[in-house]
Amino acid sequence: MNAIGAPVIEAKTVGKTYGVGRAPVRALDGVSFAVPEAAFVSLVGPSGCGKSTLLQIMGGLVPSTEGEVLIDRERVAKPMPGKIAIVFQDATLLPWKTARANVEFPLELQGIGAAERRRRSDDMLNLVGLGDFTERFPHELSGGMKQRVSIARGLAQEPRIILMDEPFGALDEQTRIKMGQELLRIWEATRKTIFLITHSLTEAIYLSDRVLVMSHRPGRIVETLTIDLPRPRTYDMIGGVEFGRARNRIWSLITADEAEGAVEP
Amino acid sequence: MSRAAVIRWAWIVVVLVLWEGVRRFDLVNQIILASPSEIWRSYLAVGPQFLAAFRVTLAEIAVSMAITWSLGIGVGLVAGSIPYLGLTAGPILSSLFAIPLVVWYPLFMIWFGIGPESKVVFAVLSGFFPIALNTMYGVRLLDRSYTLLGRSIGASRVQILFRILIPLALPAVISGLRVGTALVVIAVIVAEMLASLAGIGFWVTYHRTLFNTGHVYLGIALSLVCVLAVNLGLTWLERRVGRWRALERAGA
Repeated sequence: MNAIGAPVIEAKTVGKTYGVGRAPVRALDGVSFAVPEAAFVSLVGPSGCGKSTLLQIMGGLVPSTEGEVLIDRERVAKPMPGKIAIVFQDATLLPWKTARANVEFPLELQGIGAAERRRRSDDMLNLVGLGDFTERFPHELSGGMKQRVSIARGLAQEPRIILMDEPFGALDEQTRIKMGQELLRIWEATRKTIFLITHSLTEAIYLSDRVLVMSHRPGRIVETLTIDLPRPRTYDMIGGVEFGRARNRIWSLITADEAEGAVEP
Repeated sequence: MSRAAVIRWAWIVVVLVLWEGVRRFDLVNQIILASPSEIWRSYLAVGPQFLAAFRVTLAEIAVSMAITWSLGIGVGLVAGSIPYLGLTAGPILSSLFAIPLVVWYPLFMIWFGIGPESKVVFAVLSGFFPIALNTMYGVRLLDRSYTLLGRSIGASRVQILFRILIPLALPAVISGLRVGTALVVIAVIVAEMLASLAGIGFWVTYHRTLFNTGHVYLGIALSLVCVLAVNLGLTWLERRVGRWRALERAGA
């Protein structure tokens, strides 16, 4: 178990309505939760429930309609590149830059000197296991490797928090499991706070200290599960009783909500 | 020289010999076809005059290209990065592109005279739409997460545009430039042929009415040089900036 510290992210009754006038869409409603320092927290929920919207609000990319998100007790009003790094579902690498140049790109924009950029890109690419691929272009890398570069790019900004929006959603299952294990290793090595959005209940339970379960649109947090599995986590835990119980609980929450909402067949 | 290159040159020689032979044995009337040697004689006769005309044409093309490129890319970028604008202006641009502009040329002549101005206006209008449209779609089809990435790493709007979005859209922009620039070259020469007192198009038409077939072919050859040069330049540009796109496709 990790020692869980003071909250570094706090969402307070966050609400979001898209569009005004005739057909406004209520994406989020009264979302409140806290993420402790250095914790690994996942958010699961049905597709289209506003998970990505919530992440974008947390990252300062989209304003909320009501409520607020605090990072280190500071209200998020715009992106905070020094504190928060975001990893998107597509690796969003710049195809004309090498892995190293991609990792250094944000640092270059922030005016960090070449030697320091070099040091950080070396460190982070090594950390994600791409030490031998620093001069490769994205098209020479597999899907999993591209996502590793993207994670290294996030880490190189030395943020306190990494927000991940379905980072492994586009990968095949085997790669996905390996990437999850890699992510745990990276998390344990760096002690960052990680907030992960995923469709995969297994992934959420396997990786996290806490799992937030979100309802159908408008998204609300219907339950917060604490995952008490010991760390380091091992693959065989997935078959364990405790794991199964957590997965059943989340599944029943999601399906109950679907029956209640009855939005789509 | 590779085998393929040798064969390519051999083909060119064969075609030139046949071409020359057809005229030497008078199989085709001299009003219809001029042989390479006749074109060369035309060059010796009116070379300086034609080269001067060529310079006029090149200047018109250069000015038109500069204006078309900046206008087309500029409008395309704006229309592409503001979704609402692209959605409303896109169909209008597309349908304007479909109008055969040459029917307007008589009006341009009245408005701008028969000097270079009317050629430039005509050429800019001809080349503008494909460049603007391609740029617009190029920018619009970019994954929105690239913009979000840019903002999340603290990039300014200008940095997002110039360091991320424009380079990503570049392959689309260049394919627009290819079509647009070809149209600019065609438009300048056509406009010269329709009404003017200078330029290569003017001399082609002039000598055609006098049945100086050799001179006409000389003019055509110079126009070809022009189109080829433009094409080579664009291919070079495409290679330089578009390489990763081709590689990515090959790797995918």
